[in-house]
Amino acid sequence: MALISFGIYLAFVFLLALLANRVGKSKPFVSEYFLGSKSIGLWAFALTYAATAASGGSFMGFPSLIYTHGWVLAWWIAGYMVVPMIALGLLAKRLNQVGRIAGAITIPEMLRHRFNSQMVGNLATFLVVFFMFFFLMAQFKAGAEIMATLLEGVPVYQKLVVGVESATAGLPWIGNARADYLLCLIVFAISVIVYTTFGGFRAVVWTDVMQGIVMGIGVVVMLVLVISQVGGLGNATRQLDEMTPPKFVSVTIASEAPVEKDLRLPRGEWLLVKGGYEVIRLGSAATIPAKSEVSAPVDALLITTPAERDRVKRRIDADLKITASMASEPKGYAYGEDKKGVYVHAPGPHRINPAGFLGVMLALSFFAFWNFSGAGQPSYMVRQMAFRDTPTLRRSMVMVAFYFSLIYFPLVIIFTCARILLPGMEIYPDRVMPEMANVLTQNAGVPWLAGLLVAAPFAAVMSSVDSFLLLVSSGVVRDIYQESINPKASEKQIKRLTYIVTVSVGVLGVFAVLHPPEFLQDLIVFASAGLGACFLMPMIFALYWPRTTPAAMAAGMGSGGLVILILYLIGYLQTREFQEYRLFDLHPFIWSVIVSTLCLYFVSRSTPAISITLRERFFGKEQK
Amino acid sequence: MEESQEGSIEEPPVEDLAASFRQSRKEFWFMVMTWVAFAAWTLGFNFLFAKGEEGEAVEVVFGIPKWVVFGIAIPWMIALGLTIWFAMFYMKDTDLGHTDEEYANEKGEA
Repeated sequence: MALISFGIYLAFVFLLALLANRVGKSKPFVSEYFLGSKSIGLWAFALTYAATAASGGSFMGFPSLIYTHGWVLAWWIAGYMVVPMIALGLLAKRLNQVGRIAGAITIPEMLRHRFNSQMVGNLATFLVVFFMFFFLMAQFKAGAEIMATLLEGVPVYQKLVVGVESATAGLPWIGNARADYLLCLIVFAISVIVYTTFGGFRAVVWTDVMQGIVMGIGVVVMLVLVISQVGGLGNATRQLDEMTPPKFVSVTIASEAPVEKDLRLPRGEWLLVKGGYEVIRLGSAATIPAKSEVSAPVDALLITTPAERDRVKRRIDADLKITASMASEPKGYAYGEDKKGVYVHAPGPHRINPAGFLGVMLALSFFAFWNFSGAGQPSYMVRQMAFRDTPTLRRSMVMVAFYFSLIYFPLVIIFTCARILLPGMEIYPDRVMPEMANVLTQNAGVPWLAGLLVAAPFAAVMSSVDSFLLLVSSGVVRDIYQESINPKASEKQIKRLTYIVTVSVGVLGVFAVLHPPEFLQDLIVFASAGLGACFLMPMIFALYWPRTTPAAMAAGMGSGGLVILILYLIGYLQTREFQEYRLFDLHPFIWSVIVSTLCLYFVSRSTPAISITLRERFFGKEQK
Repeated sequence: MEESQEGSIEEPPVEDLAASFRQSRKEFWFMVMTWVAFAAWTLGFNFLFAKGEEGEAVEVVFGIPKWVVFGIAIPWMIALGLTIWFAMFYMKDTDLGHTDEEYANEKGEA
């Protein structure tokens, strides 16, 4: 049933792409395909903006962080209280105006005209394409993981997975990918590439509107279900106050007698520890070989909260003649081990960091990050170039403010409560959202609703990936081919090339993400920080300070991106993981903004100003 | 006004700048100050109260930890109200220029 409702949702997405294609046929191709002819109205502008912002990170990565660290995530996300005003208002009006004066379709094109500099435009194109590609990878991974969760128990899908596994075995790069992930990745990528290529910006905006509505409904329904199923929010918070973080342990699995054939226990299986007091959850699959009684040691999660342990014990099959024995000393969290109250107070438990999840300097970093990195994202900027008039902008700001309030704070409530309904999700935290959808709807006796709830994060991922796809292809077609290689290209040539590039970028994205990093949110934060670092301060200077020079723009964009790359490289060298280095506990984004601002100011002061004609065009009384 | 190269200027006088640009710049600074005010509230309050007392049960208001209510939920609601006021009363409408459709229509009429 869940699959059917999910299928209906997907069918609507394709229908909208078809309609968008028909509407756009009578209009000039480039402006229509990449910017919807700059005529996006209130609902479309507000919801396309909100849906693009609420990406896979909001619906997959964010819930997993709430689940893992508790109520402190309300502080982590608190910057969103002013995001609708800042991220939408800071640049939108000037950006739209300057974009129209320049006759620009893309951000690099707008910058090229603003400074009459090919170098500025080319650098902007390179930076957009480079960082945006990491975003694409993250969204592709999220989309594939959601599909894999949804389809897990479907027999046809299981057969297809086996088929894919045997078909790809031995192939270089592809053959090493998980077969279920690969299958879902291909299906997801084809769906998004097809509707984006077919319908262009208008299709992306229209599907965003539908996806925005689905996300909103999904969150509200989950909120109602979760509060009723945990016996009220106050009850849930008090239970959470009693919880202590789980421990990580190595276990062996034993049966009462030798098994006749290999006995495989899947990842996620709950087992009693010998003696019957402790419970563990398998972090990876365990196998007891034929004619044997004991498995090799495997990773597992040890539950430490008594009430949680009792709840889990009731679920374990009493007839199961298999138990676990600890093969190593249980290892607790670096911050929060055996400590009650860590899930309802700051800084929140952390597995590795002894200072906890969120200190005040990091909270400050994120309060700035959500607002200013948001304002500096080219995918949002391009939408700010597309709204029709200022009343549309003003009303959209109000709508987005209500929408974000409806989404983000309730998500914190839903996924703090998730700890009570879904224990032991630390073994695969990125799956907590779809798992919650399944559990909530099954408990409520409406399993078909799971399809709609899972459609919410899926919608978030789709609405982000389509925008990024379009942005990368516009960078290649408009800013490189049309601007530098063939300025006299006919509309037919541009159209053909646009389709080819959109498909190629999508296919390249699929190949790049066959072996993705473990944590989705890491990729998203890196790409957001990189784009924000490259474009936020340069764009503010370009729009609000007439004295800014082309050399300063190049220095501002280049230095911002470079600081992010260097601090991530140091982080990687220190931890051998995809982690940023936080100088004085501040996120690299803050340092990049500081360096970029200094470069913009001092290079502007030390290089010749732009011509009077150019200044008059963009800042003078008679702007034209 | 200082000439730095032929046909270029250092800083244009304010009266030479478009009124729409000056209005946008005023709104820009309002938004920056708003961010500073809300950052100070949430960071200051939560720095003082979000840690809780060792061994004491969490204080709950409307089912939510008390520090979240006063350090995040209430400023969030005020920010929502301020955003509505800013968008509906403070931000001024500006002529942004022609959309592509309007250009196309004008061309058609000509």
